[in-house]
Amino acid sequence: MRSARAVAAFDLLTPATAEEALSALRSAAPGALAVLAGGTDLLFDLDDGRLASRTVLSLRRLPWRTLAWDGAALTIGSTLPLRTLENDPGVRTRLPGLYAAVRAVGSVALRHRATLGGNLGRSAPASDLIPILLALDAEVELVGPEGARTVLVDRFVQGSRKTALRPDELIRAVRIPEARPSAYLLQRVRPFHDISHMAVAVAYSPRRESWRVALAGFPPRPILVPEAGELLRGPRPSSAEVVRAAETAAQLAPIVADKRASEEYRRALVKPLLERAVRACASSGGAT
Amino acid sequence: MTSPVLRLTVNGRPTALDSVPVAERLLDTVRWRLGLKGTKEGCRTGGCGACTLLVDGRPTLSCLTLTHEVEGSGITTVEGVSEDPVGARVQAAFEAVGAVQCGYCTPGFVMTLTGLLKERGSAEAFEELLNDLAGNLCRCTGYASIVRAVAAVREKSP
Repeated sequence: MRSARAVAAFDLLTPATAEEALSALRSAAPGALAVLAGGTDLLFDLDDGRLASRTVLSLRRLPWRTLAWDGAALTIGSTLPLRTLENDPGVRTRLPGLYAAVRAVGSVALRHRATLGGNLGRSAPASDLIPILLALDAEVELVGPEGARTVLVDRFVQGSRKTALRPDELIRAVRIPEARPSAYLLQRVRPFHDISHMAVAVAYSPRRESWRVALAGFPPRPILVPEAGELLRGPRPSSAEVVRAAETAAQLAPIVADKRASEEYRRALVKPLLERAVRACASSGGAT
Repeated sequence: MTSPVLRLTVNGRPTALDSVPVAERLLDTVRWRLGLKGTKEGCRTGGCGACTLLVDGRPTLSCLTLTHEVEGSGITTVEGVSEDPVGARVQAAFEAVGAVQCGYCTPGFVMTLTGLLKERGSAEAFEELLNDLAGNLCRCTGYASIVRAVAAVREKSP
């Protein structure tokens, strides 16, 4: 066969059950196995030679492409394509911030393969999904040899490409405890299909009567800024509260520069993005 | 490192492939193994959309898809898109308004738009369709005629 380029070699495992997948994880030597969900990020490792002579464990046959509403709570299977998540009418109307964040990921053709589990597992600093999951108090369901455990996304994500996932565990699902008025806004060079310089996710919990504010786009990881959330009161905070929250977030957040944007530019973006996000969120009303 | 036989349905025809390396991209399988050169390699990093084809009707970046990961699926490339009524309409619209400059991005645009219309139906808002085409780049910057083609497809919708 003529080929555009040489192809690296690895073994591909395609277990049909979680038990088989976990047993493959257990029997692999440390670092010898890579987990494949949609592959839209992992395949860059293949091009860069980081997958050579490793075993790749594909999750495609596992029954985890699920989406289930239970009252106001939503559980999303880790291997559900993002485009399917985006096409769920409930996500669009009841979790507008999640809908906007999913729409911010790549293109339609990319989202037909990319997954929420993959995005969390790879834990990129500019992830569009982690900040909104933080604002929604989402939990990650992990399965391992001792059974399942749940970890808050805030604890699961530990740094750039660093998570609390143990080598013998897999991400099974993400659980969002309640539908919330929410918003996700970002600044990037091109208006579509580009990586964020700065992003803001906000959500209001009617049950807890409290706001969550998350910032992202800078290394090492998306973060919650509780001090900013605490300055916002009720479903429709006053303009003065919004301004103070935005100033506090811009001041307190550990924003740094990297190759995509300076620290000054990023701090300057916090205020307009946060003000617009809170306004969008407050006008979306009782989305539950 | 290879599996004995990999089965796909390519443009409606059942196809069995021998000894496809597990690391092979669908893009390379389609172009070099099946000889269907309509699917283009652009950036090979998911950034340009030139390699878009349909997997079970859904627009998919073939450069970021391992062939083994879509085993058993139906693949539609630009060579087979006219057999689909929606695809035929999209092709006709691109031709009618001359939405082809150098032509390199055209198969990707045709496949993405066909997939979007099949997924969302012809009632999908014009703006939404344009937003959802943002993953396809035309390096000639011939966007005005591509936008006209999208409008023409919607007007001619049954």
